[in-house]
Amino acid sequence: MTAPSLAVTRPMPNPGRLLVGQIGYQARLLASGRAITIGVGLPVILLIGSHGRGTQATAADAASYAVFGLTLTAWATYGVRLVAAREAGVLKRWRATPLPRWCYFLGRVIATIVVSVAAAAATIAVSVLLYHTHLTLTGALGALAVFVLGAFAWAAMATAVTAVIPTIEAASPTLMLIYFPVIIISGTFGSVSEPHWLATFASYLPAQPLADAAGSALSRAAGQPLFSGRDLLVLAAWTVAGLGVAIATFRWEPSRPRHGRK
Amino acid sequence: MSAIVLDRLTRRFGDFTAVDGVSFEVPDGQVVAILGPNGAGKTTTLEMLEGFLAPTSGTVRVLGADPHRGGRRWRARIGLVLQSTSLDAELTVRDTLTVFAGLYPAPRPVGEVLELVDLTADAEARVGALSGGQRRRVDVAIGIIGRPEILFLDEPTTGLDPEARRRAWTAVENLTATGTTVVLTTHYIDEADHLASRLILLARGRAVADTTPDGLRSKGGPATIRYRFPDDAPLGDLPGSLAPYADRDSRVLVVRADDAAGPLRDLLTWAERHRSCLSGLEVGPPSLEDAYLAAIGDPVTAAQPTTPATTGRRSP
Repeated sequence: MTAPSLAVTRPMPNPGRLLVGQIGYQARLLASGRAITIGVGLPVILLIGSHGRGTQATAADAASYAVFGLTLTAWATYGVRLVAAREAGVLKRWRATPLPRWCYFLGRVIATIVVSVAAAAATIAVSVLLYHTHLTLTGALGALAVFVLGAFAWAAMATAVTAVIPTIEAASPTLMLIYFPVIIISGTFGSVSEPHWLATFASYLPAQPLADAAGSALSRAAGQPLFSGRDLLVLAAWTVAGLGVAIATFRWEPSRPRHGRK
Repeated sequence: MSAIVLDRLTRRFGDFTAVDGVSFEVPDGQVVAILGPNGAGKTTTLEMLEGFLAPTSGTVRVLGADPHRGGRRWRARIGLVLQSTSLDAELTVRDTLTVFAGLYPAPRPVGEVLELVDLTADAEARVGALSGGQRRRVDVAIGIIGRPEILFLDEPTTGLDPEARRRAWTAVENLTATGTTVVLTTHYIDEADHLASRLILLARGRAVADTTPDGLRSKGGPATIRYRFPDDAPLGDLPGSLAPYADRDSRVLVVRADDAAGPLRDLLTWAERHRSCLSGLEVGPPSLEDAYLAAIGDPVTAAQPTTPATTGRRSP
């Protein structure tokens, strides 16, 4: 009788350790691509372009540009990379390993949150250094928590949307077609107060509550609440909805035509 | 116990039947090639063995488990090389293998795997900077890093140049020497002949033959006479049994005949008349490719003219 293989007798790797490894792996992939360039470069260019030398950027300004970089990374970069990985068979390759599926999925999302929040923090740091944005430790920690929740919400929604994107060629146009209207009507590049219904509508989208909550935390005066509970509730609702749809519709395999199997 | 057992395995996509009642068993340590033309059901069969697809009917057991419900432990016991290269391009070969090794309870050392697939010299290269053949070998490396008991290879050398194919074959041979059960799909007959001890032929979703390379060759089919005429030899007076099979441009004669004696006699008579020594004359058994095409019912083979003595094809 042959001896049982080592794969049978040895304990399986600990899922917690696998998750940490997966976060590190995915963060390395994300950081070695264009994510940081886009997530930090574009907001900083816009920040510099809209502020003259010697002027001061308010905390709300800094928060808006940071949110722009964060959402670009957590929505567009993450979404496009996810579709590319699926269509290239990378997701299927991982699914074929003993890595628990939730580990891969969560590792990818958490890595995206880490890189997105780092991009937002870099934009805030530039604003503090060049435009003397006033920052307190409590405010910075509050904004950090908001950024984490915001990045989670946008990454969850991007995951949900990728299920209906059939090809890598369609990924960027589809994601941007959704992204720019949301960002613009949410007042990221200037406040939109009219018509009233549009402003109300924007307050239920995930961009404006994110910018408002981050701005509120960064510019918080002593004795005032760190951020509005409503803003966090809207972000949490988008996170739950995005995750729910993503879990129900997520596809590991590339799209292929009917009867396309060999 | 057999490593793999399929019993009347069937998979339908709507009204299209991709795999139709396929049954076979694979004992431990055997190297099996599943051959067939495009659309024969090779990949669908493999995907059911790998657990990516559930059968519509019939049963499949791999290492005693239903692959579609195979858990982490089961996945740790099998290795896969998918049909297309599917790797993140940003990291180095060594880093990529290290990450995958960490998923398994008893991985092979990364250095050993690099050696097995002949990639030691490229260990620090980014995956995205490798050639197609090298990336394919990284795929094989990932497939074997967990020390699998069964390795599934889906068309492992499609699209590779001859040298890259040979290197990929060597990597697989290194592995089969350790007793790993291997199931590979391919439409390269020479690849199946080189790597596998057993061939399962699929056509239109059905298993049409389960044999060995020698068994397939011996299943009838014509012997082949091949001869290149000297440049100064006149071809105008070739006998009728040979003339249709001689290519005037390349001056190559290829006759496939159930009974080779007749055409050979005619060729010898012609050679005596023209004082030719028939240097380079080849008379061989039926090629594996011919036997394969006959077994899968290839319409081109079926359309060849057949006489009681000769079944031939005009040389290209």
